[in-house]
Amino acid sequence: MAEINKKSLEHLADLARLELSGKESESFLVDLQKILDHFNELQELNTEEVQPMTGGTMSKNVMREDEIFKEDHYTDAGKLAEQFPERQDGFLKIPPVFE
Amino acid sequence: MHLHDLTIKKFHEGLLKKDFSALEITKEFFDYIEVKDKEIGAYLSLAKDEAFLRAEKADLKIAKDEPMDALSGVPLAIKDNILIDGQPATAASKILENYKAVYDATVIKKLKAVGAVFLGKTNMDEFAMGSSTENSGFKLTKNPYDLERVPGGSSGGSAAAVAAHMAVAAFGSDTGGSIRQPASFCGVVGLKPTYGAVSRHGLIAMASSLDQIGPFTKTVEDAAILFKTIAGKDQFDSTSVETNYNDELLNPKLEDVKKLTVGLPEEYFISGVEPGVIKAVESAINQFKSLGINFKKISLPHTKYALSCYYIIMPAEVSANLARFDGIRYSKIQNPKSKIQNLLELYKRQRSEGFGPEVKRRIILGTFVLSSGYYDAYYAKAQKARALIKKDFDEAFKEVDVILTPVAPTPAFKFGEKTSDPLAMYLSDIFTIPVNLAGLPAISIPVKQATSDMSRVTSHKPLPIGFQLIGKHWREADILGMGMFYERLQI
Repeated sequence: MAEINKKSLEHLADLARLELSGKESESFLVDLQKILDHFNELQELNTEEVQPMTGGTMSKNVMREDEIFKEDHYTDAGKLAEQFPERQDGFLKIPPVFE
Repeated sequence: MHLHDLTIKKFHEGLLKKDFSALEITKEFFDYIEVKDKEIGAYLSLAKDEAFLRAEKADLKIAKDEPMDALSGVPLAIKDNILIDGQPATAASKILENYKAVYDATVIKKLKAVGAVFLGKTNMDEFAMGSSTENSGFKLTKNPYDLERVPGGSSGGSAAAVAAHMAVAAFGSDTGGSIRQPASFCGVVGLKPTYGAVSRHGLIAMASSLDQIGPFTKTVEDAAILFKTIAGKDQFDSTSVETNYNDELLNPKLEDVKKLTVGLPEEYFISGVEPGVIKAVESAINQFKSLGINFKKISLPHTKYALSCYYIIMPAEVSANLARFDGIRYSKIQNPKSKIQNLLELYKRQRSEGFGPEVKRRIILGTFVLSSGYYDAYYAKAQKARALIKKDFDEAFKEVDVILTPVAPTPAFKFGEKTSDPLAMYLSDIFTIPVNLAGLPAISIPVKQATSDMSRVTSHKPLPIGFQLIGKHWREADILGMGMFYERLQI
């Protein structure tokens, strides 16, 4: 089955917005390969007629009316902004996005 | 009254009889925590002022002769991934080190409504990923029964706080065993409710199709009280369900419990389980037989695939849920090691310095099983395996009402024993994981007097061992009822 090498690990880390140190990469390569090898046992399962379980329950979509929430804790933007580590005038401050 | 003797029930009775005030007890807890927690390390933060205010409120109600809820003034500990407005919520991760919650989780809202007191937030494996609390970004928590051993995880701080009498009860979250396994290791009761019974709103999400919040208590009776308080549908969690838990939850009848048939799955009593654990669980079975409960051998044939299934589905959900931690919106890592040029670089730097190794490992594993080319072979396959595991339980529950198993293959293990091998650590959850995959309720209850003859060859100190009762969906009443009558047995 699948094999993880240094290059594919780097690609995965990039997709996940992570940077791995050399030491981390080394140990992850060993660990992940071991874990993936363990997963191979699933291939012996016959799942041809099986409907996948896609969530914690088999219940159907839960819909609600599309209306404005009266609850204040989602509309209190000021309180949320206070948790931004860097902010200015209620805005979130970040490094430049465009170069 | 001594803190060691306090249960929710006894606290409530003492409060009503005016043996003590809620404020006195709350102060006593903080004094005790100050000394004891140096040794245990269960708490990440304390909230004294807020706790005193809430305790005074309960005392005021008593003074005015107002009706008191069973939880009025009860001092609780809360796992640090459950939000309490204005208090830190780090999920034991450096990436949230300076974050303070800006609203209450639904369970906290409900507990506040009945007057509960919150002593502080407890240590855990980072983002609830682990089985020993060794993955905390901040500190180790020690097992109160043996300081050289882990308290279990991921809710190790909550379990240790209750076991060491640093709270009357506590809350944790359970994704693959994170309430039941530490409860077993620390000799307390731990309940994982049916998926959807308790709102997950305000719980820092790990794997949303598996996570549930539940209580740690000294008695099964207390667990029933806490569960009934937090259960129910919530507009902020569309997977929560309107439940119909009536009086049988708190006051089970012996004649009903006697009628239950209990299944013993052969796949859970295997050679990999430590003999002491099997012996302890068997003694619990014999004690139940003395109550007149019938046992039956059953089979859950897909059990062996649960670990693989879980370690595909859970990391997949983790990789999506943890994408929100960009190192910008919540707290940020102070002084990143080098100067940052652009946003992408900032994300990578903050996440790499903010997340610990296990979190990174799971994010990468989850990204892998969801990536094009591997999705069908891993993620889709695991979802089908999950359906088969659930079907096993559905079939078994046509013949039995409750299933009894060990909680974990061993008692509490030593620090460092499994940290170098992730797969070995994952294996400590093999008996709890299937329950989350199937969305069932389950409880971990300490085996009575297991400590007298179950001590390990490697240890002089007796270690607690728990057994697990698994119920049908929405039938917490069955497992709590059995537990309550087990608790009352004189042995």
